[in-house]
Amino acid sequence: MSVLGVDSRRDLEIRRYPLLAYVLVPLAALVLQAWLPRLLSPYDYFDLPLLATIFFALGRRSPVQGTLMGCALGIFEDALSHHAIGINGVAKTVVGFLAASVGVRIDVENHTIRLILIFLLSLLSSAIFVFIYRVLLGLDLEWQWFTELFRAIGNSLIAMVLFPLLDRLQIRD
Amino acid sequence: MDSFFTRYRNLLALLAILLVQIVGLAVQVRRTNEGHRTIDAQDSSSVRLIRLWAEALIAPPEEAIHACKMGAIGLWQNYIDLRHVRDQNQQLQDTVDRLRLEQAALLEDARQGERLQDLLSFQHRYIYDTLAAQAIGTSGSDESRVFYLDKGSSDGLRPDMAVITADGIVGKVRDVFPHSAQVLVVNDQTSGAGVILETTRIRGILTGNAAGQLEIVGILADERIKPGEKVLTAGGDLIFPRGLPVGEVEKVIPDPERDSFIDVIVKPAAHLDRLNEVLVITNTQPRFSPQDQQDMATSQNVMGAEAQAIKDQLKASQIMAEHLPGLIDPNLPPDQQPLLDSSNPTPVAHPPQALHPDRFTPRTDTGALPDAGSAPEPDAPQTPAPERNQ
Repeated sequence: MSVLGVDSRRDLEIRRYPLLAYVLVPLAALVLQAWLPRLLSPYDYFDLPLLATIFFALGRRSPVQGTLMGCALGIFEDALSHHAIGINGVAKTVVGFLAASVGVRIDVENHTIRLILIFLLSLLSSAIFVFIYRVLLGLDLEWQWFTELFRAIGNSLIAMVLFPLLDRLQIRD
Repeated sequence: MDSFFTRYRNLLALLAILLVQIVGLAVQVRRTNEGHRTIDAQDSSSVRLIRLWAEALIAPPEEAIHACKMGAIGLWQNYIDLRHVRDQNQQLQDTVDRLRLEQAALLEDARQGERLQDLLSFQHRYIYDTLAAQAIGTSGSDESRVFYLDKGSSDGLRPDMAVITADGIVGKVRDVFPHSAQVLVVNDQTSGAGVILETTRIRGILTGNAAGQLEIVGILADERIKPGEKVLTAGGDLIFPRGLPVGEVEKVIPDPERDSFIDVIVKPAAHLDRLNEVLVITNTQPRFSPQDQQDMATSQNVMGAEAQAIKDQLKASQIMAEHLPGLIDPNLPPDQQPLLDSSNPTPVAHPPQALHPDRFTPRTDTGALPDAGSAPEPDAPQTPAPERNQ
């Protein structure tokens, strides 16, 4: 794992994507997240909006952009559910910020590091969701830890395939 | 100060966005009368606006994907996957010929069945207006078991309408948009429906658990509840009509939170994970035929006339009672009641004495015929006897 200075790595490795990618990839993530569970249920252990958030946060290496991307995707995800709007928003906001902050400091090109990072961020997102729901809002919610574990594993495996494909969208000088 | 904001720009942006969202969350949660916290069922205008935007953004691509899927299935089934169709067609033609012969034999039975149906006319009273709709998407979250329909308020859908399939109940319409609607599935943790066990007639509340299973909660332990028993809607929740199939009992487990209570895990009758086409019950009012309504009106009129006649008779008897002397005056002491008045000109008449006494004739202690002036038997009730007036 190579560790560089924050500013130097950011300047060297900021990835740029076409404007259309910033619109279509999150939109596709939201649509597929809403549609695929109908085909794959009960084996729908993935969170595509979370993966889109992490992908752009790692690529852009900008905590503010990662925060905004996570906030927007989380709020849209909440809006499609019958929960209060903001639960997923807060979770993905934090994840977007952390992914961008970590992406500045470590080499996320390494597949193993990327796998571990996505696994941990998925677990963190689930933990924040449950914390907000049960502790902050005081609402009743039963949850199963192994479901969240399977989802984190599913996210990591999907990201291993998806991220290299999305990397092809970046603009190269 | 300027350098502070520059240095901590990212962190400040994060905190600001988190603060806005947390405040937004706080205003969406309220406390119930029982002290529990719950999400406000009625979205505020700003929250509904966000949901409307999300629905407007997601629903068109979902409908497009759904249309593509149905088109591909139709293409495959109608144009490509046609092997053995000629043989099947020949077999079906043979079946049609055979059924035509059977139809002639069954025609008379069918006519008799129609006559019986006319006599009973039960069907007319429990037919509901329904609207077929396609499921086009979900919330994408296990914690929110909702799905979206391709019909909305423009098609007549309203919140709290029941959603069913031919197999059983599915859920209720939670939110309605112009061209789509959100359905809360019965296996969501926040859903609830009144149900009754078919055999034991035990009632309970059906809800969902974290694993997406249906469970009936709030039931006292009862050994009569066995796996396989049918579960039906009870009709008390004002959402689902009574008697719709829900599923069957899968297993009974003790309630982890309350002693002597059990949770009944129910296997759903409808395939909640594989929903394509559903029916929305748009009208739950009983619908009577004009003949039924005329009969009911006639019955009401007859009942009204009978009630009036009974009332008139009661009134006449009260008037007559006021004008006739009573045997018991509540204003007088017991020893001065008119019943004991010896001057009563019309005493109670006794039966005449028998000319030829037999074994059925009442006897006195001396074996002689009963005399009004003689003493009563010891076991006989001590009723005052008026004087004989002979």
